Amino acid sequence: MGLFDSASRVFVAATVLRLVLLVYGGWQDANSAVKYTDIDYMVFTDAARYVSTGESPYARDTYRYTPLLAWMLLPTAWEGSAPWATLTFAFGKALFALADVLAGWLVVQLLRQCYSFPTERALRYVAAVWLWNPMVANISTRGSSEGLLGVLVAALLWATLTRKAVLAGVILGLAVHFKIYPFIYGVSILWWWDAQRDGAAPDTKSDLLSRITGFVTASRVKLTLAALVTFVALNLAMYLQYGMPFVHHTFFHHLTRIDHRHNFSPYSTLLYLTSADVVTFHFETVAFLPQLLLAVIALPLVLAKKSLATAMLAQTFAFVTFNKVCTSQYFLWYLILLPFYLPSSSLIRKPALGISAAIFWVLGQALWLSQGYNLEFLGLSSFVPGLFLASVLFFGVNVWILGIIVSDGGESEDVNNPVRIKP
Amino acid sequence: MKRRITFFQRPEAPFEANQAVLTSKSLAIRGLDAAREDRVTFGLDDLPQELRDVLQQSHELRLRWTTERSYDAVTPLASRVSPGLHVHYTPLAAEQTSEALCSLLRTVFGAGVDCTKPEDTFITPPLLSTRFAASASLQFYAQLPSLQPLVEFIQSSACSQRKVGGAECNKHASSLLTAETVDIDYDSISHALTVSTLWASAPNGGWTEDIQKPASGADQVEFGLLGAEPGIEPQEIKMGGLLAVVGQDKKMKPTMFSFPSRHHPLPNDAGYVVSFSTPTGLHPTMSISITPSGVQRPPAPSDATCALHTYLTLPSAVFGDQYQLGTSDPLFLESHNLAALRAVAGETDLEAPDWAVQRWGSNWLFELTTPSTDSLQSNWTATIPLHLRYLAPSESGYQTADVPWPVVFWACTAEDGTKMGVNPFDRTNLGWDGLFGPRTMFYQLHPKGEHLVESVDVPVLKLTGEGLFKAKNIELGTCIAILLGFLWVLWRLVRVSWSASVSAESRPARSADGHVKKE
Repeated sequence: MGLFDSASRVFVAATVLRLVLLVYGGWQDANSAVKYTDIDYMVFTDAARYVSTGESPYARDTYRYTPLLAWMLLPTAWEGSAPWATLTFAFGKALFALADVLAGWLVVQLLRQCYSFPTERALRYVAAVWLWNPMVANISTRGSSEGLLGVLVAALLWATLTRKAVLAGVILGLAVHFKIYPFIYGVSILWWWDAQRDGAAPDTKSDLLSRITGFVTASRVKLTLAALVTFVALNLAMYLQYGMPFVHHTFFHHLTRIDHRHNFSPYSTLLYLTSADVVTFHFETVAFLPQLLLAVIALPLVLAKKSLATAMLAQTFAFVTFNKVCTSQYFLWYLILLPFYLPSSSLIRKPALGISAAIFWVLGQALWLSQGYNLEFLGLSSFVPGLFLASVLFFGVNVWILGIIVSDGGESEDVNNPVRIKP
Repeated sequence: MKRRITFFQRPEAPFEANQAVLTSKSLAIRGLDAAREDRVTFGLDDLPQELRDVLQQSHELRLRWTTERSYDAVTPLASRVSPGLHVHYTPLAAEQTSEALCSLLRTVFGAGVDCTKPEDTFITPPLLSTRFAASASLQFYAQLPSLQPLVEFIQSSACSQRKVGGAECNKHASSLLTAETVDIDYDSISHALTVSTLWASAPNGGWTEDIQKPASGADQVEFGLLGAEPGIEPQEIKMGGLLAVVGQDKKMKPTMFSFPSRHHPLPNDAGYVVSFSTPTGLHPTMSISITPSGVQRPPAPSDATCALHTYLTLPSAVFGDQYQLGTSDPLFLESHNLAALRAVAGETDLEAPDWAVQRWGSNWLFELTTPSTDSLQSNWTATIPLHLRYLAPSESGYQTADVPWPVVFWACTAEDGTKMGVNPFDRTNLGWDGLFGPRTMFYQLHPKGEHLVESVDVPVLKLTGEGLFKAKNIELGTCIAILLGFLWVLWRLVRVSWSASVSAESRPARSADGHVKKE
């Protein structure tokens, strides 16, 4: 009997892994001055405490998220005696872990239904990449909210591939409200969702006017409106409740941030120089151009109609790689989409290529991290050339991998173009 | 103008009658081994116009300066502040602060005082205080190793205008260079400016000076030669010695008086040493190592509640995380020998680089734990994890952040009705005393070090004007890398679309289901 024969076994194992980590985390927090719980989780729970007393979550410094998150974690603010308080404190982490498992389940369903994967094969990839990935389980049980994005993106893909336009729109609006970056998926989904996806006959007319009118389909309109209404309604509600601090901390902060502490982004050194006002010409002000040209225009246009999931993976990869700030939690953003791409990718077909991609990626990380350690803990001035070259090198590795994904995405049409589910 | 000159002698210091001789015109001091405090009180009319303008806009202005050199505590002037210049300021009207104060501070104390406008540079006292707080509305600190600028200011403004006694005035002014502390106080109720200067020890050969009777009848010079001993009550200090008003009294009057005192010194072996464990990295940890006698309960009344505290003055380059340090987690606190963060004020932004921070920095009051055993053999060390801001790039790749040693003291409750204000040597507005109730006694520990400022190396971006990694090349390099990466991905996309359009001609049309029919 194979390890991946039974779905329940895979999900039970994934759940047990997270439960063990939750209990272990609780134990380490209670017995060591070095905490298992992520510092961000303290921000969320502090914000939840503010919210529970009727105050603004933005009363907590560095709370840069939607108030929804603080509301969801309200139970963590419940006071109680020792065992009860430990349970309520872990509520948010358990929620994030549950979101992880749910995201994995959605991906397995999609692989089986829309990509015609045998259950065993679907389970194998999702377990390897997501459900049994210790990094994913670790991040959510330490209390990072990135796992919530995973379930939102998986749900968005599921609603799209099963042709639920309004639901997809609502999820998209919610996801963008939560973390801005999923707006890039809106473009590829809209482009992908042409009339044929809804069962129309292939378009034979090719004059400009009919192409334009043909572009506007019921599904596209529904999706766009649902997304816009959800996004606007959520923001309006939050604005009415918490005013400018909400707008500032969830959105404007990302435009005006002045903290350019070292990170994986190739822009990092340049932004230090700019911020300290020693550069002459400000290239970083147009940094959004290459990033958005790829993630919002070129990648969706070329890849979305061939393979939506691969297009979304490439978009996320491009968005993260070309971003002005990049930290390790961003890597989780594209991990959830890997099970759709990997099975048919040249990284698996040609093991030498796949293994070298993995080795170069890890080496790039290791090099950067060693320079970061020299700076952060040994106090050595490793910004230049150490961190600068390491981040440029890591950028190069990522761009090379992105190129592979793009090529694979271009060839993937007849392999995993989703089958429409018949009602 | 009123001058009060007090010499404080230790009990074992020698004294003979001919070392202080009073005549009808003057007082002759010869080779006196004593600490000395000069307190000069000016009326507003005695002061230069630029100073008067600022003072008239102030409700309260209190400056506390302390040297970076180590010095012995003097009873009853045992209180300490961290080395540097501390300014406590309350404007007359709340919204009416101006650039005049800052420009005056720069004129008087030199360009090292990095202050533009009080509302930008000053901090407001405690954001988080679990205690009664009474302090000025605005607070400022500058690392000021030397009073040379103040000496020059006095010499060029006050001394140069004098027709007689210019040389004497210059000498007086330069004596500030050897002072250990200088306090300057003004408040709008008394309309008087008081300058108190402390020399904790005598110059080589002792104090030798002829103190003249004042030229004007309106002025007064008081003289005291005192020794301190413990009072009858634990909160009291008893002082005895000789007093005289120069030019009025025929001979010195013996005196003996006692008063409750806010500040008490601890025995000399109750000391502490401050250091940063290396490598400091971007997250230096401050260690405060206290001698065994320093962590023993002070000789306060047995019913008093006492706790050991430290008060940090952190320039903006160094900061604490108020959420990390303000935790109630016993494991964290115990591992650092901290009891609790009691108060924090000032710049606590967790992310901003130093150049984006306008305020001078922050103040932190911690309560420290003490060992449970009375027979401690080795030092007791409290540690405070701190963080560094990004500083501007430099040619060497490093910058220095100077952190003054914090003060460490025991705070004990005093009996109801204890009136600390009757002490003629009372000292308040130190920054930390206002965080306690008005009837609190402080027992000061002694900093044991030559230089009471720690320098922390801060790694910064190494910026060279020449060579491969000069700023321009980093800019260019980033630009080229991004562009190449962008073009590479674009090229891949072009190849995909090109091969798709080629193969589209030889492929069957897509089915209504949206996937290619596989037969």
